[in-house]
Amino acid sequence: MSDIEAIVTEAVVEALALDDDEATLDATLMDDLGAESIDLLDVLFRIQKATGVKIEASHLGDHIQGGIPDDEFSDENDIITAKGAAHLHRVMPQVDPAEIEGTLPAEEVMSLFTIQNLVDMVKTRVDSAAA
Amino acid sequence: MSTAQLPDSSIRVGIDLVSVERFERLLADHGAPPDDIFTEQELRYCEGRRRRPERLAVRFAAKEAVLKTLGTGMTRGARWIDVEVVNMASGRPTVQLHGEVAALAQRRGLRGLDVSLSHTHGFAIASVVSLWTSSTP
Repeated sequence: MSDIEAIVTEAVVEALALDDDEATLDATLMDDLGAESIDLLDVLFRIQKATGVKIEASHLGDHIQGGIPDDEFSDENDIITAKGAAHLHRVMPQVDPAEIEGTLPAEEVMSLFTIQNLVDMVKTRVDSAAA
Repeated sequence: MSTAQLPDSSIRVGIDLVSVERFERLLADHGAPPDDIFTEQELRYCEGRRRRPERLAVRFAAKEAVLKTLGTGMTRGARWIDVEVVNMASGRPTVQLHGEVAALAQRRGLRGLDVSLSHTHGFAIASVVSLWTSSTP
């Protein structure tokens, strides 16, 4: 387990008061582990304290949408487009783009976000802070 | 999603409940109220007032309730500081939107927002009602 993986997992376990075996890397923060926004805030504060790198909740949204404009990320009904699905597969590799394109409401994307996805995002933030 | 219908408009609600003790502990651990959550004006309003932790917690709940009624969560470039609770001279709280959240609300046809706040030593709760020009914000 990498340092970042250990830091993120510990932050999730402590913020959500989980048993260690509940915080598997493929567990989704919101759907599987029941995280609310304040839990997310707690997790990010803990990660920030452990890494020394400022990580805001908005970075999560930016990471997930990848700078794609709203009207290209989802359609007029707020359903994920092919472009949005392709990007989501890059940052959330467990997501099958064919399954979500044209079906997944954009506001439900966060429900698919796993601990592993958070580890990857934190690694990116830490690496860019060190660069 | 259940959406109430009015002629040429629709209503959505958003609600959020926050544990004051937990929120206070989070801020204490963090060292200072983060500037990515609260605006300067919100911090000024709460500073030095009685029950400051409750006031901050209920403002956080209001931000979450607004983002819920907009259907964004923390995606769409939404930031907590883009949702600001501003008290009128009478003390009544109102919500002002800024940045990406304001732009998104305008694109989706937001006509108005109203917020109600309540807090005790244990919990802070915010309820938001939004009125939209179309049926699906």
